[in-house]
Amino acid sequence: MSIVGQAISRADGRLKVAGEASYTADIAIDGALHAAIVPSVIANGRTVSIDVSAAEQAPGVVAVFTWRNMPRLNPTPNPWSHLHPHGQGYLPLQDDAIHYAGQPIALVVASTLAQATYAGTLIEVDYAERTPAVFGPSSVDEAFDPPQFLWPVNSSVGDADKGLAVAAVRIEQTYTTADRHHNQMEPHATTAVWSPDGSLTLYETTQHIFGAQALVAIVLGVPPEKINVVAKFVGGGFGGKAYVWPHTLLAATAAKRLGRPVRLQLTRANMYSMVGRQAATIQTLSLGADRAGRLTGIRHQSISPTSVYDGYIEYAALGTRSLWPAAEGISTTHRIVRVNHNTPTAMRSPHEALGHFALESAMDELAYATGVDPVALRLLNDTAIDPHSGRPFSTRALGDCLKEGAVRFGWDRRSPEPRSMRDGSLLVGQGVAAAIYTHWRWPSAARVTLHADGTALVEIGSHEIGGGTYTVMRQVAADVLGMSLERVAVVLGDTRLPASHASIGSATMANAGASVMLAAKGARDKAIDLALNGRDAPFAGSTAQDVVVTDGVLTAAPINRSASYAELLAANGLQSLEGEGAYDPVEEANGPKAIFSFSAVFAEVRVDPDFGTVRMSRLLGAYDAGRIINPKTARSQAIGGMIWGVGQALLEQSETDPATGRFVNRNLSGYLIPANADIPELEVLFVDGFDEEASPLGAKGLGELTAVSVAPAIANAVYHATGKRIRDLPITIEKLL
Amino acid sequence: MRVLALARPEDPAQAIAAHAADPELAFIAGGTDLLGLIKDSAARPGRLLDINHLPGMSGIEALPNGGLRIGALVRMGDLAAHPEVRASFPVIAEALLFAASGQLRNMASIGGNIMQRTRCAYFRDEDGLACNKRRPGSGCSALHGVNRNHAIFGWSDDCVATSPSDLAVALATLDASVIVRGPFGERSIAFSDFPRLPGETPERDNVLERGDLIVAIEVSASFPGRASHYLKIRDRQSYEFALVSSAAVVELEARRIRSARLALGGVAHKPWRLAETEAALRGAVLDDTEALRSAISLSFAQARPLAHNAFKIELAKRAALRALQTAGTRA
Repeated sequence: MSIVGQAISRADGRLKVAGEASYTADIAIDGALHAAIVPSVIANGRTVSIDVSAAEQAPGVVAVFTWRNMPRLNPTPNPWSHLHPHGQGYLPLQDDAIHYAGQPIALVVASTLAQATYAGTLIEVDYAERTPAVFGPSSVDEAFDPPQFLWPVNSSVGDADKGLAVAAVRIEQTYTTADRHHNQMEPHATTAVWSPDGSLTLYETTQHIFGAQALVAIVLGVPPEKINVVAKFVGGGFGGKAYVWPHTLLAATAAKRLGRPVRLQLTRANMYSMVGRQAATIQTLSLGADRAGRLTGIRHQSISPTSVYDGYIEYAALGTRSLWPAAEGISTTHRIVRVNHNTPTAMRSPHEALGHFALESAMDELAYATGVDPVALRLLNDTAIDPHSGRPFSTRALGDCLKEGAVRFGWDRRSPEPRSMRDGSLLVGQGVAAAIYTHWRWPSAARVTLHADGTALVEIGSHEIGGGTYTVMRQVAADVLGMSLERVAVVLGDTRLPASHASIGSATMANAGASVMLAAKGARDKAIDLALNGRDAPFAGSTAQDVVVTDGVLTAAPINRSASYAELLAANGLQSLEGEGAYDPVEEANGPKAIFSFSAVFAEVRVDPDFGTVRMSRLLGAYDAGRIINPKTARSQAIGGMIWGVGQALLEQSETDPATGRFVNRNLSGYLIPANADIPELEVLFVDGFDEEASPLGAKGLGELTAVSVAPAIANAVYHATGKRIRDLPITIEKLL
Repeated sequence: MRVLALARPEDPAQAIAAHAADPELAFIAGGTDLLGLIKDSAARPGRLLDINHLPGMSGIEALPNGGLRIGALVRMGDLAAHPEVRASFPVIAEALLFAASGQLRNMASIGGNIMQRTRCAYFRDEDGLACNKRRPGSGCSALHGVNRNHAIFGWSDDCVATSPSDLAVALATLDASVIVRGPFGERSIAFSDFPRLPGETPERDNVLERGDLIVAIEVSASFPGRASHYLKIRDRQSYEFALVSSAAVVELEARRIRSARLALGGVAHKPWRLAETEAALRGAVLDDTEALRSAISLSFAQARPLAHNAFKIELAKRAALRALQTAGTRA
């Protein structure tokens, strides 16, 4: 029985629960100094003077850096690229300008963290302050068309305006989402260690070791081969550790200047200004349909904030390009507004999770306007052809997700009328939303080595960010090698390993996994070749096709001969046998088929009509993510994504003070994420299927997908419960009173 | 670097004298609020005095008249689980159990609970924003800032913060008093006189003076607490402070209210008693929702919402009604 497809527990589970997994800031470095950031209190203006004299005299202080004495950094590459990804183009401590609150205005380096932090409080700063720009309803007037960043900014297929004009039923509404911060359990940290030969080791909280290597090389002017980035365990990324943020550059530069290792770990409050966030959106969504509910036109316009120096775009309308077809046409636009916060970034699930709130809320509004059941409406508009590119979908089991999810959820027992279902004094509501998610195809290399003792080692420059990479890579290699899991070890998270891609966008299983599969095949095939053609050639006369491997033993059944990996290596005098895997897929956009993951989310809420309190009572996700490699880690990803979506729907918002432009609730006391009591029983369904276009493993992306369309499913359930349509996230008490 | 000295006296008189003489000294018991305040620089004590080993402050005793004397060092979790509290003062047990988390309730003391400082984000901001409670005279950032969680009653231009303690709201509906020992001996402060409104001195949350040590809270049985309820409305279902809460204690005669006491949390700098409402409720039939509603409205004539919290008026009215009727079911 294949090991792939089995519910295998985490290889590193015991290490993690025992506290023995070393996260970046856990790694002890002899002689390391500690750095603390002094943040700007104002959000817009400049520093007039910075008096560091008292800080420099404070106990333990080794150095204080401000823009005056910080070494100059090279500009970041333009245009932005996933291959050398900076979080923001504005570099730290290079000039006297202040563009956002919490911007570093000094870096204090001392023998201990407490000394550095205390000395930072002794720094006296005079500011010249200007009124900060903040995002709000009036931002609509200041929005402008940005240059392309990831995908084309606007899209138009057919004639969406005509589709809306001819529609028998039209929905046009504005939907808004809030600024949100990732709030990973593990704060970002960097420990920078320079060697006498000028090489740099960065212990880094990153989802993208090779991107960090490339970007730091450019900004510091060091050849990339002299930089090694290490990230063995990452305590949550969610996109917030995908790119390089200023603290990494500060730590590396300070360490170089001082000739000592420097550790810089962000405080929780630092995490609201030193790294990016999910930008708020103002979205206008127009749907036109015939009386039966068949879509005739879709128009989706989104506005989001960026920093004053970068053009980050939240592609909220991206999913709308491909989820539902419209007879006459679909158009999408994105515009941005400059505000005095740092540059936004990807946050689970960037683009799609925001846009789907608008699109799938509007679909629910259309269901009520046409009188068509919300599940039936979506099935009616299902398609096998990507409306955006005109290509067939590689696989699209959205209909199965909707149908199987509805059966499991008991959708047929739902009475459609709002306020028609009750549990005692509580209003009960049930809602559904569908989702589509981008499939990324990136190159990845891996190496699998068979050892003389009959064990195997998988080496790949990928990352464990909580999803279970150690576990699934071992599974894939063991499966191909025909070995038990216990004999396979996995090494990740080091740029000296074969180069893989960023662990973002739900890409790791399909791409990095494919390279491990190819590397394992390479090693296995070399062993088979030894059996057929090597010294003593025990399988001589047989063919490679006849050979199967089970439990580390190769068998050529037709000639009734067997030999273990260990025996073959020993017979040939080999210590090891290496297989290299180089997965180099064509980019999705250039392939013959459109590749996406799909889901249907069903939510049930109970609302106290007196208090406007929404409590989840059930949540079910049905997913088409291709072949599921490990149902256990996949389910973990899914429930994590669902909970992430509950936070988006009901709780999370980073609030900006209107006068000072500062984030006000910069900690886990003020920024609410769900507690256990907020989460009901979660049900996960996988509509399993092999997508050969997506990956040789058959897998499509899953992690991000699971946080998409939770919010509209809940918002639709709230409408069903209360008759109130909430178009502004999060759905808090005052909106339902 | 700031170094905090910790002393651990066993003689209350010594502790009180030290506190009276040293403005930089803070008492610490469970530390669940103080340590957070120190980390955010919202409290900057130079020295800590651990009161956990002071004698006679850790017990729960029945008073001769039927009430309870609760030592200031009793932990929230222990008080919530106490059989006499659960039977005679459910409003106290509920207020405690809806607060914090299990871990925090096992650490946090009762005396510290009623000393908790506001959760106002501006007050707690680690960069030290304008806040009169934190730095008198610096201004109030919340007055025209993000003030959804702030006061609708009794605020001043100097401070719009709310008090976070759930227990305090429950105590406000009972005949409770705070037993304080100071440099000049022991005194009893009626709980209604204990917390302050901000006025022009929001840095003072309550009437305690330097050298005052809370040794106990006494709850008298003069007003029966059995028919009582604490209702808490918050954004998430656990581990979160009240957006609005209501404590209610009621005495019924048949289905009529002989007397009732109602207090609100999350709406003012202290638990907010609804005095006009309580007067109007006398003689009302508990099931006459309209009558109760109009009685409750009387106390809201003085409500003054801020830019983001007008919804609290309606929410608080509904909370008070539900708390009152639920308390009535226990009569």
